[in-house]
Parts: sequence; C-alpha cells; structure tokens
Amino acid sequence: MSVFGEARNPIIRWEWIIDEWDQIREALVQHLELTLLSVALGSVVAAILSAAALRFRMLATPVTGFTGFLYTIPSVALFGLLVPYFGLSRLTAVLPLAAYTLLILVTNTLAGFAAVPDAVRDAANGMGLTPTRRVLEVELPLALPYIIAGLRIAVVSTVGLVTVASIIGQGGLGSLILDGLQRTFWTPMTIGAVLSIVMALVLDGAIFALGRLVTPWSNRARST
Amino acid sequence: MRKQFEGSDTDAVSSLSLDIAAGSIVALIGPSGCGKTTTLRMINRLIEPTSGRLEINGRDVIQEPVTELRRGIGYVIQQGGLFPHRTVAQNIATVPRTLGWEKGRVIDRVAELAELVGLESEMLDRYPDELSGGQQQRIGVARALAADPPVLLMDEPFGAVDPIVRSRLQDELLSLQQQLHKTIVFVTHDLEEALKLGDRIALLNIGGVLEQYATPDELLRSPANDFVEEFVGDDRGMKRLALRMVSQLAYDRGPVVDIGIPITEAAKAADAHGTDWLGVLRGDAFAGWVRVDDLRNGDALADVPRVRPAAQVTPASTLLSAMELIMTSRTSVAVIDDDGRFGGVVNLDSIRKNLSSEDDS
Amino acid sequence: MIGGVLAQAAVPRDVGVFEFLFGAEYWTGAGGILTSLWDTVVLCGAVMIVATLVAVPLATVLAHHGRGELSVTWMVTLSRAVPTFAIAGLLVPLSLRRGWGFEPWPIFIALLLLAIPPIYLNTYTGVRGVDRGVVDAARAMGLEERNVLFQIEVALATSVMLVGIRVAAVQVVATEPIRAFLGGDGLGRYVRDGLGQNNDNLLLAGAILVAGLAALTGAVFGLLRRALPPGVRRIR
Repeated sequence: MSVFGEARNPIIRWEWIIDEWDQIREALVQHLELTLLSVALGSVVAAILSAAALRFRMLATPVTGFTGFLYTIPSVALFGLLVPYFGLSRLTAVLPLAAYTLLILVTNTLAGFAAVPDAVRDAANGMGLTPTRRVLEVELPLALPYIIAGLRIAVVSTVGLVTVASIIGQGGLGSLILDGLQRTFWTPMTIGAVLSIVMALVLDGAIFALGRLVTPWSNRARST
Repeated sequence: MRKQFEGSDTDAVSSLSLDIAAGSIVALIGPSGCGKTTTLRMINRLIEPTSGRLEINGRDVIQEPVTELRRGIGYVIQQGGLFPHRTVAQNIATVPRTLGWEKGRVIDRVAELAELVGLESEMLDRYPDELSGGQQQRIGVARALAADPPVLLMDEPFGAVDPIVRSRLQDELLSLQQQLHKTIVFVTHDLEEALKLGDRIALLNIGGVLEQYATPDELLRSPANDFVEEFVGDDRGMKRLALRMVSQLAYDRGPVVDIGIPITEAAKAADAHGTDWLGVLRGDAFAGWVRVDDLRNGDALADVPRVRPAAQVTPASTLLSAMELIMTSRTSVAVIDDDGRFGGVVNLDSIRKNLSSEDDS
Repeated sequence: MIGGVLAQAAVPRDVGVFEFLFGAEYWTGAGGILTSLWDTVVLCGAVMIVATLVAVPLATVLAHHGRGELSVTWMVTLSRAVPTFAIAGLLVPLSLRRGWGFEPWPIFIALLLLAIPPIYLNTYTGVRGVDRGVVDAARAMGLEERNVLFQIEVALATSVMLVGIRVAAVQVVATEPIRAFLGGDGLGRYVRDGLGQNNDNLLLAGAILVAGLAALTGAVFGLLRRALPPGVRRIR
C-alpha cells in the first residue's frame, strides 16, 4: 500500500479537483462568508460588551463570565439547540460561531485598554480632551494591537468551527469533508480539510498585515 | 576557617581570596556589578567557582557532594525566600526533615527556633504570606539556623523591610550572634549596615576585585586607596564615631566634688581643672552642675543653684551621640552608669584622643 | 446528506425531550444513553491521560531548565485555534488505509492536539512563574535537584497546572461529539440522529446531554481543586 494511495481511491485525485472546481469554489466562498459574517457579528457584540464593561466597571466580571460560559458550550450542542428554532439556516450557524468569538475579543479588548499607561490617560485629560475624544483618539489606538491579536485568534478558530457548521447543512469546506466521508471518497475530505487550514493561515496573515498598517508605531517599537 | 576563590569567572569575580575567622561576621559590599552576590553564592556553590578552592575548617569542600555542603550552610535571602505552600513550621523544618531527624526532635527544634527569633507559637501554623515582612525575615533566619549550621550566608537579608524594622532586625541578629557564634557572611549595599554588623568588611570593585578587607574602623581610618576613600564617603570620621562606644574611651572623673564638702574646697577643685563649672555628686549619683561664680554666694554647696538636667550618656552610647550632646551643651558630658552611678566625664578632647589611637579596642 | 456509513439511533419521533432524558429505558440497553456516555467518557479520559502524560513532563522539564520560551507563544495561539474537525477529517482516510477503522484513532489524535496546548501552556508558565528566590532557597538548603523540582516547583505550579487541565478537559468533552459525524458514536450521536431524522426532540435532548457533560466536567475539576493540600491550593 503506497503512501500516495491506491489507484482507485487515493488521498487526492487531482482530476477530481479540476472536474469539481465549481463545487470547491462554492464551498470556499460559503466558508469565507460564514467566517466573515460570524466574526463581524461577534466583533459588533464584543465592542458593545467591552464598551459597557469599560464604562461601568461593575459589568466587567459578569461580561467576561458570560462570554466564558458561552465558550464552554459544545459547538455541536449549540448548533443542535438552535435548529428547532431557526431551522437549518445560516442564522443557526452564524449565531453560535459569533458567540464563540466573544470571549477572546472581549478579553483582549479589555486587556488592551487596561494596558494604556495611566500617565498617557492623565496627559490626555490634562490637555483638555473630552472623555469621548480621549477614548477614540488615544486609548483605542493604543489598545489596537491587543484587539487585533484577539481578532486573529477569533478568525482562525472560527474558520475551524465553520467546518463543524456543515453538520447543519450550511455548506463550506466542512461539507466536502462530510461528503467524502459518506462516499468513502478521500479526495473531497482531504481538499476540505487542507483548504480550511490554508484559509485560516491566509486570513491570519492578512489581519496581521492589516494590523501592522494601522499601528505603525508598534512595528517600529518592536523592530528596535 | 579559610575560604579561597581564585581566578573564577573572569568577569564576575577574579582572583578573590578571603580568610574568614570562625565565629565572625563578614560583610561583602561594593557597587552593583562588583560580584558580591556571586561571591556569596560561590560559598554554597549555587554558583560553581570556575576554579579555585573553597575550604571550611581546612577541609576542601569543592569535591564534596553539593547537597551535603549546603545542609551545613544556612542561607537567608531578601524576603526570606520562604516556601509559600508550606506553613511556617514546615518551612523551618525543611533541613532537619531532609536530614531525616525523627519527628519529635524536629518539633522541639522548630519551637526552640521560633522562640530564639521571637516568633509567637501560634504563627507556626500560618502560611508565610499571612505574616509581615519583618516576621517573614525572622522565619527565614530560623529556617537557615534549623540544623545548627556553623556557617550562615545572608544575601541582602534586610533589604526588603522598612528602615525601622531593618534596624530592629539588625539588633536582633547581633544579639543572636552573641549566643550562637556562627560564621556569618552577608551581602549588603548599605554601608551603614556593613559597618554596624560586620566584624570585617570586604569591599569589592567591579569584576570582583577586592579593594580592601578590614575591620570597619580600619576601613574608615585608613582607606587602602582612592576607590575605598570615595566609597566610604568624606564623613568617615563621623562614621567611625558611630562605631565606638563611650565605654571604650579613656575618660577621667573630671571636676566633680561631693555635695558635703565645704565651698572653699569645691572652688579649689574647679581651679585645679581650669573650668568655671563643677559637677556635684550626692553619694555615687550625679546631682547636677554648678557655676564656679555662684560658689561665692552660698555657705554650703547644697544651697548653690544647680543646673539639671545635664547632658548624659551611658557607657553603651556611641561616640557620635556623645559628641552631638557635647556640641549642644555648655559643659563636658556627664557619664552616668545604667544604675545611676556616676562614671566620669567625656569631652571633645577624649574623643579626639580615642579616634587618633591606632586600635579600636 | 447524513447517513450512509453512520448508524442511526432508533427513537420514535413522538418521544418528548424530557421523556427521553428521564426515561430509564432510553438510558439502559445496548444502544442506550449510558453506552454512548461511556464511549465518550472513555475516549475523553484516554485523551486527557495521554495529553497530560505528554504535556506535563515536557513542559515541566523545559520550564525547569528555562528552555523553549518560544513554545509558549505558539501554544497560546494553538490553544484557541486547533481545527479538530479538519484534522480528524484528514486522518480518517489514513486510518482506514492502515486498517485502523473510522475510529478511535483519527478523533483521538485530533482531540489530543486540542488538549495538549492548554496543559502545556499552564504547566510551563506555572513552573516558570515560581519565584526564583524560593527555588534558590530550596537549593541552598541542600534539597536534591529532583526534590527542588517536585516539592517546590511542581508543587507550587499544581494549581495553575490544574486550571490548564480543566480548560483542556472541557474543550475535549465539548469537541468530542463531532466524532458522531466522523463515523463514530458517543454522546454526539443523538444530535447527529436528530438532524438526520429531522427529529427536533432527539436533537434537543442530544444537545442537552452534550452540554451537560461539558458543564459537569468543569464542575468536577472545581471539586478536584478543593482536594488539593491547603498550602498548594492557596497558590494561584
């Protein structure tokens, strides 16, 4: 038995990729859409929760506790729980995926703001900035490296979880894996798995690059 | 006892050789980067000397198993280095238990040590972080002494506590040492501490160069070179005064008379000393000063107005505090023994004579 | 879309969620909940034991010698981003080719990769985080090197280590149900069968079982922490 597989059912049959390119492209697009939608929704909710926790200190513990609780709910269970209410819909996939991003996004956002030096905050106040302008012009930029680091982890883990969302029929690269599994045909399984890992790495790199663009000061600090 | 390091780690400590007398306290001091901590840690081989010899009681211990060596050397560090997951008693019992002492003996020893360093027994079952910094430091000392090691190493032992507690812990260490007679080597960056605690001081320069190894008094009296002179500062005369006690002075009784003698006799005594003040004694006790001018106005010495309180010191006072009193009083300083008996008087002249004498005994 | 090689649990459509969860007849028997639960517990237990046996000694030794600081950065990312489904999917063909079947190897290895990072991370930072003064003092008192490691460094890191093991265990238990979609069974089968048979009650009951086991796992580790010796427990 060769590592590269038997003639009839190899790990990868290259012709299949060409023949079924449309199916692969569709899965890729669906996967990307689900990922971006979920992270976008997660980011909006995380921003609101973080803002609330930063504005009202007493909310910090409940907010982090709640997002931590969401994170421990098994993905299979959460998809399963929502199906009876929202059916096999995109919403059923996006809600849990967005919920899972909250923990890392909120944690890192709060850590980012906590890391703003008191002296900088004092200086901003001392120069007469209004609280809103101080947060937007001074604190937020300084917290950005943390927020971006959280975003990277959120995106990478969401790409991985979107494959699980295929169990509720929302397509994506996970559907290639399930498809191959049902037909005991390895090529789509391998393609689905490899492409999902590649997508995670590409998106991670993209956000990293974006992060360096929007926080030029932190690159310079790091390189010296 | 003899310790010797030669040509160890080229940069850290180079060709350092120290002889440390058994039962004495030696302070290692110098600017940061001088290798004083490295030197200390070579003694219990937390840092292995690159080369050289380390002898304890004439026995070369470099070849000995390192754990055996360390069990015979107590080690105290800043904030104690206590094990936070073990109670105070368990901390103190570490080495005895490692040595396989039986349980009863360990318990007795822990109780004994707690009393020795002044820890209340109910603290033994607490955890270190429930206690104050000063108490933690005492536990650190008790733990180091647990198996009665002849040698004690201390790395800035009192660096982490506030000045008042530090001073008290220093005094406690000195009184412990009077009972225990350990050989103690300690590292400090505080010259006052080195002068106060050390029988001898090893002053190191960058790279572990030994600039001077001398008694505190010798270090202050005759610095070996410019580096030492600069390190001890330009008030080294005053620092020497702080090292010496009034009891070390060659003082005399001064112009004092008993309160019962006739006025005329008293005036003669003042003339003999060339002073215009006269001390009055009632029995053994000092009763106050009178002005010679006032003697003419009275019939009996007891009727002459006396100035009290007079500046007083005890034999245990430092010369520095004696001098301070002399500077602010208009007379010489009365020396009064602890039990209220008059001992004699001390003046600037006797202090100056003492400082210029060669030895500090 | 689901079916084929996957076995189906035969539960009538008209059984209510709580009727199912509280009905003794659904728990016992060859295809009962207890059997599925046992499957899950055995797999997760095996994963956790192997992950702990790999990660704890490795991280402890590296941290003790102060090596491999960079591994920490890697593990931080990995601990949140291991794509278990994709990894298991990649491994299934390899496993079948070797004649090892659909499971447990693919899901076992994928879960192992999920479990190792948090355990490694917490062990490493726990051991590395022990006050160097305390370690020095232990050494200076003539403790043997292995006693310094176990009685001081490991003992002081235990609490942090246990947190890492708890995080890993909860994640493993929460992720294990995907096994039901990769040709296996375990507690995830009810979700799978509920979806496959369009049976919402079974789906909900399955989701509740899966979520309940994950919550229980977290709670068990909470109790385990209380079982630590008092001196070790108070270190965080």
